[in-house]
Amino acid sequence: TNSAKNAKIAAGAVVCVESEIRGEVTIGARTVVHPKARIIAEAGPIVIGEGNLIEEQALIINSYPENIAPDSEGVEPKTMTIGINNVFEVGCMSQALKIGDNNVIESKADLGRNMILTSGCIIGACCQVNTCEVIPENTVIFGSGCQRRVQTERPQPQTLQLDFLMKILPNYHHMKKTVKTTSAVTPAKN
Amino acid sequence: MASLLQPDRVLYLVHGEKKIRSPLSTLYFCRYCSELRSLECVSHEVDSHYCPSCLENMPSAEAKLKKNRCANCFDCPCCMHTLSTRATNIPAPLPDDPSKTTMKKAYYLACGFCRWTSRDVGMADKSVASGGWQEPDNPHTQRINKLIEYYQQLAQREKLERDRKKLARRRPYMPLAFSQHTIHVVEKYGLGTRLQRQRPGAPITSLAGLSLKEGEDQKEINIEPAQALDEVEPLPEDCYTRPINLPEVTSLRQRLLQPDFQPAGASQLHPKHKHLLIKRSLRCRKCEHNLSKPEFNPTSIKFKIQLVAECQVLLTLTNPVENITHVTLVGCEEGDPEDINSTAKVMVPTKELVLAGKDAAADYDELAEPQDFQDDPDVVAFRKSNKIGFFIKVVPQREEDGDVTVSFKIRHDFRNLAAPIRPSEEGDAPTEAIWLTHHVELSLGPIIA
Repeated sequence: TNSAKNAKIAAGAVVCVESEIRGEVTIGARTVVHPKARIIAEAGPIVIGEGNLIEEQALIINSYPENIAPDSEGVEPKTMTIGINNVFEVGCMSQALKIGDNNVIESKADLGRNMILTSGCIIGACCQVNTCEVIPENTVIFGSGCQRRVQTERPQPQTLQLDFLMKILPNYHHMKKTVKTTSAVTPAKN
Repeated sequence: MASLLQPDRVLYLVHGEKKIRSPLSTLYFCRYCSELRSLECVSHEVDSHYCPSCLENMPSAEAKLKKNRCANCFDCPCCMHTLSTRATNIPAPLPDDPSKTTMKKAYYLACGFCRWTSRDVGMADKSVASGGWQEPDNPHTQRINKLIEYYQQLAQREKLERDRKKLARRRPYMPLAFSQHTIHVVEKYGLGTRLQRQRPGAPITSLAGLSLKEGEDQKEINIEPAQALDEVEPLPEDCYTRPINLPEVTSLRQRLLQPDFQPAGASQLHPKHKHLLIKRSLRCRKCEHNLSKPEFNPTSIKFKIQLVAECQVLLTLTNPVENITHVTLVGCEEGDPEDINSTAKVMVPTKELVLAGKDAAADYDELAEPQDFQDDPDVVAFRKSNKIGFFIKVVPQREEDGDVTVSFKIRHDFRNLAAPIRPSEEGDAPTEAIWLTHHVELSLGPIIA
């Protein structure tokens, strides 16, 4: 399959074999991808930074916009960028092209393509947000009406959880191969 | 089952002070009066108070003192969810040796839903997990208390005068009980039941219940009248030009949940203690028997007494009781005053239908002989243990877009299992059956062209 060729998984990332990674995807170090997570780069590459936590049944997809057919000419592939220390909780779906750092996308949330998350944003559970805007820092979107408020502190990075998962997941799952980088000393995980 | 999934399909008519039509699942059946009761023809009484998050019971006196709020639990001022206590470790200097630091636990309140924390409004972290959090004091408390005292005294005085006037017109040897009548008058300013208690040793006059405590001087409470000011604080100069910081503006709901302060800024929103909920018991107004009495324990959802209509009254011709029941259906006659909603004529089977009793073991008992009710196949479609399906003919009267509604009366026999009021004689007959009639309205859905 193509996935083995195009997916570049940095050393130190823990990506379970049961996850589905399609297209040109780059995953940074210390990122954990749970089984049944899906990262699909259809209309362009996806670059995921370090320290992210992508839980089960999360869907990160760089898809074609609705009004453009997949085969049309002249469509430039846009890169989806995801920063560091983000959390994609169970069952969420993100199509946003640019996500900064320290964001939390809670369970079953739904992000549209034209959103840009800065840092420290929390998209609450089951909130569907599909506007064309930049979400300011430290914004919390919650509730059935997608109310918003600004919090004073940004959410903490999930370092404890990441360390725990990086120890435990390899005991129960096979991992996808990582790419040897010239500077890294650790051997590729298998 | 219409009872659970489509409750409004079948409506029963309740003869109370008001004629109410409602589905059987919301009705109660008083077996002393043998009548259906709805929520509007019973009296609701408060049984107990409890906090919905910590499930702690609270006696009514304590609840009244604490203004029906829980002592331990808080509500988020932003989204009204329950706040949870979180702990962090902060370095703190040891009391003995200020140069060394040790990790101490600091607690703060946080909302899991909107991510509000107590640090947002500047509340310092506490060193104890519970009990350290205080609501801010209302600066007007003293004035309000003084006003309440003054008006309570005024109400007392007014009542005395009113009763004195009433008694002056009556004959002097009227019994004491008469003065109780004035106590049922709605009390202004909430004086409570203080006036109903007879003071021991006081002279037994008609005014005995209304006198002050012995030894208490009639304190003259004077209050300063509120002062009207000529000058009002002017609006700030940049009132129209200053850009609004939208996250800082509180919503109307957030503001009104804190009537003491009604802050306009989100940084002034302090958490309030959680409101208590009540468990209530229902009592039939005619015979004063309890229809529904919940358990005292807040963690239990069971009832000590629960006379729900579904367990007593026939339910879409499923027989809920264990005896054989005979049912007759009668169409409503012309000019029936209760028949106001039907839009179609219905022809119900004229013969009496017999329903077998409910037998919980029937499903497992394979050797039981099949019940032998000779059913007319034109009338009875199927029969299964205590259920029966039967045919009715419906002729819609009007061409309309609404639902077709038919009404008819169900007449069935009912055996009252409550304890007999009269003592039973030797060799007594089995419990007598009484015949109950219910007016039923059935909504059949729209007409398909």
